[in-house]
Amino acid sequence: MKLVIQILQSIGNTDNAGVTVRLAGSLDTSTAPELENQLQSIFSQPQKDLVFDLADLRFISSAGLRVFAIARKVIKEGGGETHFINMQPQIQAVFEIIKSLPGVTVFRDMPEFDAYLTARQRSFTDRAE
Amino acid sequence: MKIELNAVPEEIMRAVEILSQYCQENKIPEKIIFSLKLALEECGSNIINHSLKKDKDKKISVILKITDNLITVELYDQGPEFDPTKMNLNDSRKMIGERTVGGWGLELVRQNIDEMSYLRENNTNILTLKKYLFEIV
Repeated sequence: MKLVIQILQSIGNTDNAGVTVRLAGSLDTSTAPELENQLQSIFSQPQKDLVFDLADLRFISSAGLRVFAIARKVIKEGGGETHFINMQPQIQAVFEIIKSLPGVTVFRDMPEFDAYLTARQRSFTDRAE
Repeated sequence: MKIELNAVPEEIMRAVEILSQYCQENKIPEKIIFSLKLALEECGSNIINHSLKKDKDKKISVILKITDNLITVELYDQGPEFDPTKMNLNDSRKMIGERTVGGWGLELVRQNIDEMSYLRENNTNILTLKKYLFEIV
């Protein structure tokens, strides 16, 4: 099974700048290097939010988790946050075994993530006033 | 069923696909198939990356067996002797907390497989993974 990578430059229905990476197929020892390679363009500038949409991801191994761990580290160093949405049960089970990504947030779907962004923006605005 | 592989990542994923199809043909539940795929991927890629150093001229053999209540996956390679069953959980967890993520794969195998055993015979590493289809009472 191959991995299809789609990189979108805006997130959800909000005006917040960010990047969504949609993954479909298998993130494994043979496909993880390609994802790591494609993420370099995202890493080249600071990102406020990086979202991995895993709705169509069917398989993941430690090679894939390693790429997510790298992404989280790079985005955090730039002052941003990494999030996951639409995680399928078998993928979530792998995450839970390893507890590999402390500090990242997992949202059920895009509306839930939008609600988070809206609340975060409101909190920021309230503090500024 | 026996599968012969060259020691490159694409080849271990070919074996994972063959395993998946073989299990589906034998009506194995999807959850068990996922666990077996994950264990084979992790063990196979560990051998390819660390033992055989991605040398495409070196070989791995994978033997799959399905009986009434048990699926067995055996991996054979002629790399340096390495017994993953002797790596204790504390070492694995320590590795998870450090930069290397080498311990993650082993942790995933342990959590998805019922039995893992190792044998060194005739300069060959033989790693056996067992998954039961239902609990033995």
